[in-house]
Amino acid sequence: MESASIAAGHAAHDQEHEHHGPPEANVSSRVEAQFLGMLLFIVSELMLFGAFFTAYFFIRVVAESGWFPIDGQDLPVAIAAVNSGILLSSSLTMHWALEGARRGNRRALQVGLLTTFGLGLTFLTIQVNEYVHLGFPISENAQTSVFYGLTGLHGAHVVVGLTLLGMATTRAFRGHYSPEQHRGVEVPGIYWHFVDIMWIFVFSTLYIL
Amino acid sequence: MTFAQRLTAPGWYRAALGTALMFAFGGALVVGVRALYGWDPLFNWDAIITVGALIAAPFGYLVGIGCFDYWFYWASGRPTRPEDHSGHGARSWKDYFRVNTDHKVIGIQYIVTTMFFFIAGGLMAMLMRAELAQPGTQFVDPNTFNGLFSVHASLMIFLFIIPVFAGIANFVIPLMIGAPDMAFPRLNALSFWMLPIAGVMMLASFFVEGGAFATGWTAYAPLSTETPLGQQFFTVGVQFAGASSIATALNFLVTIITMRAPGMTFWRMPLLVWANFTTSLLVVIATPFIAGSQFFVLLDRSLGTHFFTPGAGGDVLMYQHVFWFYSHPAVYIMMLPGFGIISEVISTNARKPVFGYRMMAFSLVAIVILGFTVWAHHMFVSGMFSWLRVPMMITTMLIAVPTGIKIFSWLATLWRGVIHLRTPMLFALGFITMFTLGGISGIMLAVVPFDIHVSDTYFIVAHIHYVLFGGSVFTIFAGIYHWFPKMTGRMYDETLGKLHFWLSFIFFNLTFGPMHLVGIDGMPRRVADYAEQYATWNAIISISAFIFGASFLIFLYNMIASWRHGPAAAANPWRAHSIEWQVSSPPPIFNFDEIPTVVGGPYEYGTPGAVHAVFKEKAPAQVPAPAGGGGAPPPTE
Repeated sequence: MESASIAAGHAAHDQEHEHHGPPEANVSSRVEAQFLGMLLFIVSELMLFGAFFTAYFFIRVVAESGWFPIDGQDLPVAIAAVNSGILLSSSLTMHWALEGARRGNRRALQVGLLTTFGLGLTFLTIQVNEYVHLGFPISENAQTSVFYGLTGLHGAHVVVGLTLLGMATTRAFRGHYSPEQHRGVEVPGIYWHFVDIMWIFVFSTLYIL
Repeated sequence: MTFAQRLTAPGWYRAALGTALMFAFGGALVVGVRALYGWDPLFNWDAIITVGALIAAPFGYLVGIGCFDYWFYWASGRPTRPEDHSGHGARSWKDYFRVNTDHKVIGIQYIVTTMFFFIAGGLMAMLMRAELAQPGTQFVDPNTFNGLFSVHASLMIFLFIIPVFAGIANFVIPLMIGAPDMAFPRLNALSFWMLPIAGVMMLASFFVEGGAFATGWTAYAPLSTETPLGQQFFTVGVQFAGASSIATALNFLVTIITMRAPGMTFWRMPLLVWANFTTSLLVVIATPFIAGSQFFVLLDRSLGTHFFTPGAGGDVLMYQHVFWFYSHPAVYIMMLPGFGIISEVISTNARKPVFGYRMMAFSLVAIVILGFTVWAHHMFVSGMFSWLRVPMMITTMLIAVPTGIKIFSWLATLWRGVIHLRTPMLFALGFITMFTLGGISGIMLAVVPFDIHVSDTYFIVAHIHYVLFGGSVFTIFAGIYHWFPKMTGRMYDETLGKLHFWLSFIFFNLTFGPMHLVGIDGMPRRVADYAEQYATWNAIISISAFIFGASFLIFLYNMIASWRHGPAAAANPWRAHSIEWQVSSPPPIFNFDEIPTVVGGPYEYGTPGAVHAVFKEKAPAQVPAPAGGGGAPPPTE
């Protein structure tokens, strides 16, 4: 009966205070919602890569279909290694940008984000260029399917990462973010680091192993 | 509002415009590329439909309806607008047809939309039973029949059971944990609006050349890489359903972790919250695998890749491994939220605490972990590595242990309780018996030799319907009846509810029970015709199925009539302890004036004076609050 009266009182109050908006939610974890959300999203992204690596494993190991070089066609390991360096260095500039935001150094934030974006774009351009000069289509055999599939999946993630970075960069140039409030840099940053680390696995399984 | 304004404001007009524009864009892209490379024919309609209608157009619709407006504004970097809550809460029925960020509105949107697909899938089942009422071909040709059972299963799984649980949880979970909304309300809205895309695609597949996808909901490669265009509608549709499902699950996890009311420790959470927490873990981890499997099929079909071409180095069985690595956990995605509902309903209606609360929670976690270790029991006859069979048999049997813990705990909860046989309770009890039967036939199927004997027979159909209808759908009915007063503010008709239960319970058994027998006798599933010897049983099954299907009309009438004219519901008609019952029915637009404080367990029935949560003293609240009191911005970005 106590609960019933509370409920009734609640309904009455709601009418009066409706325009005030919701009560502030209790914070029941030290982890921030946006940070946690991005981590969980990355977990599911990892599993998507996992599905593609499973395909790779079945085709290369279980079906014993062999791996590059196939019929004299090999993967350009040297170019891809240089490209890896470009992508991995963008993680450093990303960190620099975030530190800039934390310290209130807007110039470092802006330049850091722009450099990161530029490095990511360079990586993507070289990757597309590599596709053009590889000399075998995606439909040649199962190995080329997996190669284009995995690198293409990663490339799509670079595009998503670049989109997020693009938003952060735009906002950084339009005066958003401060040492207290820079979640919009931090969260895309986590995603960008994930994209970079994922590339290490893609590169080493496809090109080196 | 002028027509031009309607085309630019978020809503259905702009959605239609966006869909058309993006379809034209996708089609032009295909034609442009083909012209550039000089391919013949220039207008390849399979490609135009795939790129234009299946991939591009849905994004036009999502942008048009208004899912991305806030994010576009945010990304452009313009000054932050103060939140005016205009997109939150339903003030008229029209608000249910707009992008709305209120979890209660989204919950009802989910439930009503999924009911529509439930009806569509159910009608297909009726048509199949009509065809199977006697041997020979009566109503549909075999290819249409294959399309019917494929679309039936896909709709029931991806468009009904999985999302309707998300709908119920959407409505209830934030209230239960004392949160004003979900953690990411706009993502929540996007999740909902992605869902109908999948359903519309699956239904639309009937109208393309070659008919609906006819490879079953499992869409095994390489069959699915060689079938007509309809298959593409499944392959792409599942991606949207999956993305919707992952986004919702992520939202639940973040909400449950970061937004619980003060005092709500993990061990004070109602078991429905636990159930959705564990389900969401499964969704986030497993669902990308079905996305992967369908990406491979899509690539094989559209770009001529060779993931599943043995002659070119591909591996056919890889499809089944990847697919079942999602789809076995998916059966727990379709069951664990139901377990949560049953715990709420049984303890409330037996007026007793849930027996073994901690073990109930631990067994959910155990099911999540074990659920990832059993996938290959679907593949005993596939020709996979034979050494994998026995380990999979053992893990499959092991998973019955945590499930058994739950069954016995519910029985112990009932033991010497004061049992109120209301409709939700009847469905809960029906669930326990039916799910136990389905579980036992599951154990039988785990045994390799028995599985080989009944593979692809009606025994499988019987098993799946005992766990998914007698299991999941009964819990859905229990949940909808249980929270109907909270959702609508009105009471449903108890007599009609009981009639619905008894009719569906009896005719469910008469429909699916005999399928065990004809299955063991060897009647193959997924075939439009059958041998003379199964005729009697099939006639009985079909007649029962029609009455079983008709019993759903009672439910539908009860829901619609009660929603419009039912007597007003009290805030707490079941005298339940969890927080959602401590606010008015329907709840206030922002759930709470102030967040409650949790002071005890959720099921302390039978303890005089026990409460789960208290609201702060009324005195300060009655003093006129200063302007802007409680006006904190919602936890959104």
